[in-house]
Amino acid sequence: MDTDGAPRLARRRRRPLEQATLLLLGAAALVSVLVTAGIVITLITEGAPFFADVNVMDFLTGSVWEPVNDTYGVLPLLSASLMIAGIAALVAVPLGLGSAIYLSEYAAEPVRRTIKPILELLAGMPTIVLGFFALDSITPALQSIGLIDENQIFSALSAGIVVGLLITPLISSLSEDAMRAVPRAMREGAYGVGATKRVVAGRIVLPAALSGVMAAIVLGVSRAVGETMAVTLAAGTQANLSANPTDPMQTITAYIVAISKGEAVRGSTQYQSIFAVGILLFVVTLIINLVAVRFVRRFRTVYH
Amino acid sequence: MATDAPSLPLGDAAEVRPLRKKRPRPADAAFHAAALGAVTITMGALVWLLGAILASGLGSLDWAFITDPVSTSAERAGFNSALRGSLVLMLITITVAIPIGFAAATYLEKFAALSRSQLEGNAYARQRRLHEMEAAGATGFGVTLKRLEVRASFLWARIGPPVNRAVEVNISNLAAVPSIIYGLLGLALFVSFVGLQKSLLSGGLTLAILVLPIIIIASREAIRAVPVSIEQGAMALGATRWQAVSRQTIPAAIPGMLTGTILAMSRAIGEAAPLIVVGGVAFGTQTPSINPTEANDTPLFAMPLQIFDWADRPQQDFLDLAASGIIVLLVVLVLMNAVAIFLRNKFSRRW
Repeated sequence: MDTDGAPRLARRRRRPLEQATLLLLGAAALVSVLVTAGIVITLITEGAPFFADVNVMDFLTGSVWEPVNDTYGVLPLLSASLMIAGIAALVAVPLGLGSAIYLSEYAAEPVRRTIKPILELLAGMPTIVLGFFALDSITPALQSIGLIDENQIFSALSAGIVVGLLITPLISSLSEDAMRAVPRAMREGAYGVGATKRVVAGRIVLPAALSGVMAAIVLGVSRAVGETMAVTLAAGTQANLSANPTDPMQTITAYIVAISKGEAVRGSTQYQSIFAVGILLFVVTLIINLVAVRFVRRFRTVYH
Repeated sequence: MATDAPSLPLGDAAEVRPLRKKRPRPADAAFHAAALGAVTITMGALVWLLGAILASGLGSLDWAFITDPVSTSAERAGFNSALRGSLVLMLITITVAIPIGFAAATYLEKFAALSRSQLEGNAYARQRRLHEMEAAGATGFGVTLKRLEVRASFLWARIGPPVNRAVEVNISNLAAVPSIIYGLLGLALFVSFVGLQKSLLSGGLTLAILVLPIIIIASREAIRAVPVSIEQGAMALGATRWQAVSRQTIPAAIPGMLTGTILAMSRAIGEAAPLIVVGGVAFGTQTPSINPTEANDTPLFAMPLQIFDWADRPQQDFLDLAASGIIVLLVVLVLMNAVAIFLRNKFSRRW
């Protein structure tokens, strides 16, 4: 064989431009890391001066939030956020799980394909719209059944109900995905030994999809804690440490809105305080999200 | 062979219960009803919500509402400033978020998935070329550069995979950060640090950061839906990986990526919380320019901000105006989603 005449394969051309493009793409992916870093850094640098004026322990354990009197005890805001999230969960867990079970176990395929996008409409609704709905419809309804006073406009209950409606599609959609991932053979096995749909849904599908369902609920609660516009409009802007869900309350997010709406001068304690409560909100939602991740890891069962 | 059956207590056929007859099972019926009830209540709430908005908002919704600027009087107040503001915001957001989002998604989906051994393979290939250069007696800047490149690629083989994994975890965490936190970031970064003031530009950039993780996640899914065999085919014909990805995979994935982007934008257009933190609620009767280059000097107007401002007032007239604004916002949202669905149906391919 004449080796000299053989075409030479090999020797790829070098493509410096390609290398540069790849670096650019990688840099774009790094932007997301910069965003996270930016969030942490700005919260800390803008919030830190606040803790020079206000003792951290007083901030975390104080039960009076009166910025005009320089009294910054965050418990009223935190408890309002958590209470509204709790009410939302009470509304959304039965509705969301019920819808998920209906869609994955009972509904015929065409029905499912119609209902699911309609439910997702509710999830895509801007939260300001739900805030308006709370003011315009839920609160008057609560007044007419006597749960809250005739001339009371704001209540945690009203806010909790609309936030519950907001996270219902989230919970139902994620739970349904988890339930549909349960293999058909497990259902058929149960039907084979005489189980009814209720038993299959409750004792086979739900336990098998538990990790996904719990993660869906936890993510829903996290969304409820960070929800802003609906709670600002419906729960009010009056910081109030109360265990009564029909009282008006101010959540962490509503406080940030209330200060931002006015003209808080940069560098003032009030301006710094929105970053301080921002840190708290960030940490609380981060913890909740980590719990969701844990649920998925801990209870995940892989089916083949 | 019925006679062979052992001592089953089935004396005569009359005692055998017919198989098909269903016993009434109240618990099952109740369970079914409860599940159906949950769907019905949720959909009922949606119908109630839309009905309530139409009932309060249709009355004050006319052409003048669309063309009039903001006003302190409920009779003259219109939605025009808010519409213009939202339009400019979306232009800024999309211009910033699309290039970064698409690039990051391409990188993460197509180039970050390489394993350590694949990366080491690349590094060894580079090293071989370096040795060839050295054997050929090459000296000078080129060789030094090549040496650095070899070092860097061996280092990247070791730290690359964990770094890429961290970036992925980070993006899914970012998608779960409450939107108001992005507002705080925008306030500290764009308004104060960069000095853009409380302007449309600050708002648009903040929204861009907010939707970035959503665009990245959706675009990655669209890219993943294109089979790898397309790319492998191109590479078998001699294309480099980048040529295969940029000329085959990405064009096939673009409709899906755009659909995801539109859905992300429909989230951004309804966001009020971060905008309030960045820009407050704009007052006055100024009409914002729809020229994005002037966004720097324009106070922050946006549809959800205007709706909030109206809904936050105690007078019923303003509440009705808020409902009219919501109708306009929802119509825009429906249009955006219709475009997304159209794109998906028209261009989506089954491989």
